[in-house]
Parts: sequence; structure tokens; C-alpha cells
Amino acid sequence: MSFKRVSKLGCIRSFSAFIGAFLLALLIVGVTVPSVSVAAGVSDTLEERISPMGRVHIEGDDSFEPAVKTEASEAEEVVPYQMKKPSRSDYPDIGVSSRAVVWILAQLHLFFGALVLAIPLFVLVIELVGFRTGDERYDSMAHEFMKISLTGFSITAIIGGALAFALFTLYPDLMAYLTHVFGAQMLVYASLFFFESFFLYTYYYGWNAMRYGNLKWLHLTLGLLLNAAGMTIMVMANSWATFMMAPSGVNEVGQVVGNIWEVMKGPLWNPINLHRFIANIAFGGAVVGAYAAFKFLSTRDPEKRAHYDWMGYTSNFIAILSFLPLPFAGYWLMAEIYAYSQQMGITAMGGILAWLFIVQAVLIGTILLAANYYLWAGMSRTEGSERYKPLIKMIAFVLVVCFLIWVTPHTLILSASEIAALGGSHHHLLGPLGIMPAKNIAVNLMLIVTFLSFQLYRRSDKVATVSWAPFGNALMVAIYVVAMVNVIFAGVYYGYFTNTVYKVGSSVMQVSSTLVVIVVGITLDAFLFKGAKTLPSYWGKVPDRAQYALFALPVAFTWLMGLMGYVRSSVKTHWHVYTVMKDNSPDNFIPTIGYAGNMITLVTVLFLILVLFMFWIANLSATKQPKPAVSADGGAA
Amino acid sequence: MNVLSKSLGFSLGMILIFTLVANLLPQVEGEAPVEKKVDLGALTMDSYIALGETLFSGKGTCALCHNALGRAPDLLVMNVAGVSEEHLADERYKGKATSVEEYLHESMVDPGAYVVASFGKKGSNDTESPMPAVNKAPIELTEIEINAIIAFLQAKDGNDVTVELPTEAPPVVAVPAVGSAPASAATAEEALKKYGCQACHSMLGSESSVGPALNGIGSSQSAEQITLSITDPAAAIVEGFSPGVMPADFAEKMTVKELKMIVDLLLEQKE
Amino acid sequence: MSNEKSGGAGSVVLIVVAFGIALAVFYGLNHFIMNIQGLPLNWDLTPAG
Repeated sequence: MSFKRVSKLGCIRSFSAFIGAFLLALLIVGVTVPSVSVAAGVSDTLEERISPMGRVHIEGDDSFEPAVKTEASEAEEVVPYQMKKPSRSDYPDIGVSSRAVVWILAQLHLFFGALVLAIPLFVLVIELVGFRTGDERYDSMAHEFMKISLTGFSITAIIGGALAFALFTLYPDLMAYLTHVFGAQMLVYASLFFFESFFLYTYYYGWNAMRYGNLKWLHLTLGLLLNAAGMTIMVMANSWATFMMAPSGVNEVGQVVGNIWEVMKGPLWNPINLHRFIANIAFGGAVVGAYAAFKFLSTRDPEKRAHYDWMGYTSNFIAILSFLPLPFAGYWLMAEIYAYSQQMGITAMGGILAWLFIVQAVLIGTILLAANYYLWAGMSRTEGSERYKPLIKMIAFVLVVCFLIWVTPHTLILSASEIAALGGSHHHLLGPLGIMPAKNIAVNLMLIVTFLSFQLYRRSDKVATVSWAPFGNALMVAIYVVAMVNVIFAGVYYGYFTNTVYKVGSSVMQVSSTLVVIVVGITLDAFLFKGAKTLPSYWGKVPDRAQYALFALPVAFTWLMGLMGYVRSSVKTHWHVYTVMKDNSPDNFIPTIGYAGNMITLVTVLFLILVLFMFWIANLSATKQPKPAVSADGGAA
Repeated sequence: MNVLSKSLGFSLGMILIFTLVANLLPQVEGEAPVEKKVDLGALTMDSYIALGETLFSGKGTCALCHNALGRAPDLLVMNVAGVSEEHLADERYKGKATSVEEYLHESMVDPGAYVVASFGKKGSNDTESPMPAVNKAPIELTEIEINAIIAFLQAKDGNDVTVELPTEAPPVVAVPAVGSAPASAATAEEALKKYGCQACHSMLGSESSVGPALNGIGSSQSAEQITLSITDPAAAIVEGFSPGVMPADFAEKMTVKELKMIVDLLLEQKE
Repeated sequence: MSNEKSGGAGSVVLIVVAFGIALAVFYGLNHFIMNIQGLPLNWDLTPAG
């Protein structure tokens, strides 16, 4: 029996190693070949490049004669692509709003896509941690994370298919144009799904077959390839969205003038890539945290409670740590939008969409409060946390005050009709919301104190033993104090006493102060607690109500992503592809925030149901029906 | 099941709060600009000025920046005509306008001609304007609409409106207003840029395969042939290319000066 | 945030040095961040130019 198992393992190893190497080679060829041929196309001599297109030939002085036929011009008649400008009648009418249909499908696809891209990413990291530390708990948890998200890959693909169908049916001209622009890139995209599935299934189902020693390295490599495929899929899909917002590689009338790389690499591509990458991790962490919280509440078994408490804690750790730098990625994206088109930037931040940022404040406030609450409640797990109790009251106070400043604009007293009367888009009170210094102070202070909560929690079960610990602590205190003073100073002084340019510039100053705190905090603690004395912590010893914070996080994250999807798509105003292809459909207006809110709620509830289904499926495999008792006469009882 | 209903209830409750917040806020819809057919025959100067005012805050999106927030000069509170004259007299002025009307027109289609101090692009030391040309995408105002805004800007401070009412002439092409003939490009390169030649033709280092490459055209074609190909592109089609792709209205759009500069430049392109 | 015990005079020196470092870091940061945006500052952090 055991011999058989070993040989089977060996067989799997050599087979998967072979397949893996083969696919890796294919992947490399697939990715590099198009770019090589593109590069070749550019570096050709002028002669070669023109010749297939025909030549101007002049014979005689005053008569124009057609060019002499070349074999190339005979072989191929090049008809320049003409972008169709759709009129209203070109959009199929299906009785309900086409935009609503695409909205729901696209947002659901994005939710699940984000989830299944993020989970393998931190699963890989957790697996590596488990491998390096030799702690089997990490490995089991990583495996469990994969298990609960496995159905998510199929759901993503199914919704993605439905979305593509809806887009090609409801917006045929736009999709024809995008297909023309992106061409073969879409085929590469489709083929990547094959790699993604292959790596996914070998990674997940090969987990126990490749658990130790050298085989573990093979397994980690599979995980890396899975992530590479997923990441490539994401940045490709991002390029379509950013092309529609800020087209590049095409001219004013939509003709492609650059190669595929120039089309993809628009001004907003990398900011969106970074922003989505970080946000996906936070989102994925939050969703699996809810799973752990649910399992924690569902059981009374202390051992299971300890496991799920630890799992929930790790998820929350992932979610918050990746959430903290998110505003900075968002800041970069917004700055690039302003640089690309000031008009687009103002439409988002100072125009009719400005109200949206009140809702955003409510959501981010919810996230920060929930995360802090969870951290504080979790301090009851350790004995060492007693010393930090007084600080928590201070943090809570700062959080609440800042949240109130952030969320309560004096402009709320205006009614809709008043705004309409003022022209809507250029209101003199509404505009400052985007750069209001008081709000910037509040947001940055909230981020700083949230990081403080986080850091205190991390420290609560440790006592530093390095000789310079008193100085390290003093330095950390000084950094916090000076950073907070600097944020307030920058907001008040440049915000109210200098001109607009300095006011805007000072917000970068505030943001970098916050970043410095986070970076110094993480670095300093890494050295300070090297070989620190660890106090005992009791996993599972956490109040039940703390778990509700883990439900609040994914709900707020999901809704927030939906909201940001609304603004990202809306800044294009009445364009499919900004400045190139007009949107003439009946839905070419920016919907109200209330309508958007209802749509987002609908999508969030659908997502919730599908996630529950995903978790249910994951647990189904662990459920075994007891064999029916057989009665004496052979019939089932 | 108790845990399920409790956690679901909690989550749905939160979702409802977010929905409520979104619905409590002022509800504003961002309408797409509607292409209005202006009845030129029934147009009076008053309604023309009113059209300009509507365009200023609507399709023109001028009010997005030209407001009290300091992003751009607040045109609504200043005497536009008076300030324009000051700008025309400024030694930093490098445009071609000689009257207030020409200046306003130039400011809209070529905002970089004069950048008001402290309103330039960050880091450009007031040499570049952050304003988009309003006759280009995404704003795409027509000549009639641009003139309507000029009329509005002149009338709002009680100044004389020098813009003439548009006549029956087709829009875009006709600029019936006195003295507001389209500003000619200064150099051949500028003219090439203005008419987007390099978007389709490879020349002067640009690369495109939509139209025939023009590198070396000077050694194969005469000035007359080049002129004909610009003013009437369908007259001779290079093999391998389709007729009707190159705009046929350059004859109406280009100034004589621009045409001559472009032809001269192309003649210099020898193989 | 620290409950570490140090000698009276020594801990005052520590705190002063720590704050000195922090102030220097953020002072430099302010200048650097504003400069790369093309918004120079005077030595007292007032806008220059």
C-alpha cells in the first residue's frame, strides 16, 4: 500500500514537472512572440514597411499614373478600418436598461475576479511562511483558503462569459471597435484562462501530494505560475477599461496608429493596475475573514474556535495591512486622471459626482472603525495588552472626531433642486469637497491612528529584549507625534493661509507623513522585536461580538468597490471611448447617486448569495452522509 | 442556522444603511449634451446670447473651471472685454488676435496663446495652459457655438457685442463674424499638426500606415500634384489605398498660407 | 506608549534626541515633497515664489 503510494507520487511528480515545464515554455513563447513581432514591425526599414502598401510613381510631367503593381499590393487590399459611429437606433432595445444589465454582470464579474486573484496571492505567501517556519498550521490554513475559493473560479468564468455575451449583444458597435483595436490580444487573454485553470487545479489538488521537501518547491512554483497567469489576466482586462477612459495608440477618429503595447499602455493603466492589485488583496482578506467569523460563531468546540479565531485574525491582518496604502494608490490614480484631463478630474472630484465621496467617507469610516474594534477586542487574547489599554480610548476618540469631520459637510443642507438651480456642475460650496483641508486632516489622522491600533496589537504579545528598546520606543512615539502635528499643520497652514496650488500640494505632504509612519512603524518593529520575549496568547478567547466586525468589513468593501466602479465608469460622461467614440445609447447620462446606490446594493446582495453558495460547496466536500443502518431483513432503515 | 440568520441580518442591515445614505444625498443626473438644431432664421441677438450662456455652463463645460474656486480666471465676475484688452497689450501675449472678439476666439481654440499669470500648467511657468481646445473632443463646440459664447461674454458686462448673428451658411465651415477668420498656423509643422496629417501619413519621423507615406514625396511629385491631392484627395488614389478616407474639405478649411507652407515642406522631402 | 523604565536624566535625553530626529525627518520631508511638485518652500516652511 505504502509502496504503491510512493510510486504514484513519483509518477505525479515527474508528470507534473514535465507538464509544468512545457506550459512554462509555452507561456513564455506566448507572451514574448507577439511583442517580438511588434518590435520587428517597428524596426523594419522604411522601404519594407511601405512596400506592401503601394508606391507613388510618376511617369511623365503632368499626368498621374497609377503605381506599378507590386506583388504585395496585388496580394492584399488594405482597407483602413473605419470606426462606426453608432446612432441611437444601433443599440438593441431589450425592454430593460442595457446599461443596468451590463452593470450587474460586470460588477459581479469584478467581485469574483478580484476574489480569485487575491486569494492565491496571499495563500502562496502563507504557504511560504508555513514552509519556512515549519509550522503546519499555516500550511493547513492556506489549503483551507484555497478550498473555500475554488468554486469562485468557475463562478468568475460563468459570469465573465455572460458579461461578454451581454456586451457583444447590447453594444455591438463598441465591441466591434474594441475587438478591432485589441485584436489578437484578446486571444492571448482567452488562452491564459487555460493556463490559469491548469495551474489552479494542479496547485489545489496537488497540495497534499507535494507537501514536503523538494516537492514543496514544485508546489510553490505552481502557485507562483497560477498567480502569474492571474495577474496577467488582470492587467490585460484593466487595459480595456483604461483605454476607454484615456485612449492611447489611436488617433482622433479612432484609427489605430500605434502597436498593441502603445494601445495598452495608456496614462491610467499602471495606476489602475496598482490600485486594483492592492484593493483585491484587501477585499479577498475581508471575504475569507467573514468565512472564519462564521465558522467561529457556529461552533463551541474550543479547538475549532481557536483555529477559526486565528484564521479570522490573519484575514483581518491581510485586509487592513493592504487597505492602509490604498488611499495613496487612489491618490496617484486621481493625479494621473487630472494630468490626462483636468476636465475628467473635476467631473469626478468637484462636479456632480462629488456627493459620492460622502458615501465613500461613510464606507471607509465603517471599515476603519470595524477594523479598529476588531483589533481592540482581540487584545483580550493576550496578557501583554493591559499596558496599552489607556491609548485605546485616545484612538477611539480621534477616530470618532475625525470621522464626523470627514462625513459631515456643511453642504448637506442644500436640496437637489437648489443644486440644479445653481447649475449642478460648478457649485461654489460643492467644489471644495475634493480638496477640503479639514477632510484631508481627518482622513490622514484616521489612517495614522488605525495603524497605531494595528501596531499596538502586534506588540501586545511581545516584550522587546534588544538593548536599544527604550530609544526605539521613544523614536516611535516621536514619529507619531510629529507626523500628526505635521498633518494638522500642513492642512491648516497651507489649506487656509496660502494659495490653491500650495493647498493642493500640501495634501501630498500629509499623505507622505502618513506613509512615513507606516513604513517606519513596520521597519522599526521588525528590528525591535527580533528575538523578543513572547507572552502567551489564547486563541479563541475573543468576544463573539468582535466577529461581527469581520462581517462588516467585506460588506463595506464590496459596497465600496461597487461605488468606485460607478465613478470610474461615469467620468467618461457621454463617451464609450473618451474623446474617440461617443455613447449615443439611451443610457448615456450619469445616473443619480441614489440610483447607483440601489444598483450597488442589488449587486452586493447577489454577490453575498453567490459567496454563501461558494462556502456551502466548500463545506459540502467535508460532509459525509452516514451509511444507512441495515436492518436484519436487508432493507434500509 | 441561528448564526446564519444573525450574520445575514447584520450584513443586510449594513447594506441598507449604505443604500439609505446614497438616497438621502441630493440626486443629480449628469445629462449628456443634446445636439440642438439652432434655427438660424429665427435667431435674435438676445436668444443667441442666451444660447451662449447655456453653453457656458452646459455643453462647453466652461463653468467647471471658470468659477470662484480659483482653478481658472472667474469669467463671470470680471469684465471680460476689459481684461481681454489688457491681455492683448501685455508683452507676454504671443497670439495673433487684434480685437477682443478675436482674442476670446483664440483663447478657446488655442488656449496656450496667452496664459494668464499663475493659471498655467504646474511646472510650466505659465507657458502652457491646462485648458482643452473647445473645438476638439471631448467638448467639440462648433463655430456658431463658440461665437455664441463670445457674444455672451461680451454682453454680460454690458459691452458691445461685435459677433454677428450666424446666417444660413452651413455650420463649422462658415464663420460669418467680421474679422474672425480662422487663425492661420504660423509654421508648416504647426499646420501639419492642426490638420492631423501625421495621424495617417508617415513623415518627418512620424509613423502611420493609414495613408501613403510622404517621406521622399518631393522627389516624385510636383507642387501642383501635391496641391491637387490636398484640395481634392479623390483626384488620384495611390494604389493599395481606398478613396474617401482622407477628408475632402481641406480646400474649405485651410488658409492659402497654410496650403503653401505644407506644399513647400512636402517638396523638400526628397529621398 | 512605552512602559520601559530608564534612568531619569537618561530618558529625558532619549526623548529629546528622538524628537529631534523626528522633527528633522519631517522637516526634510516637507521640503522634498513640495520641491518635487515644483512648489519650493522657504526655510520657515512659508511658500517661496
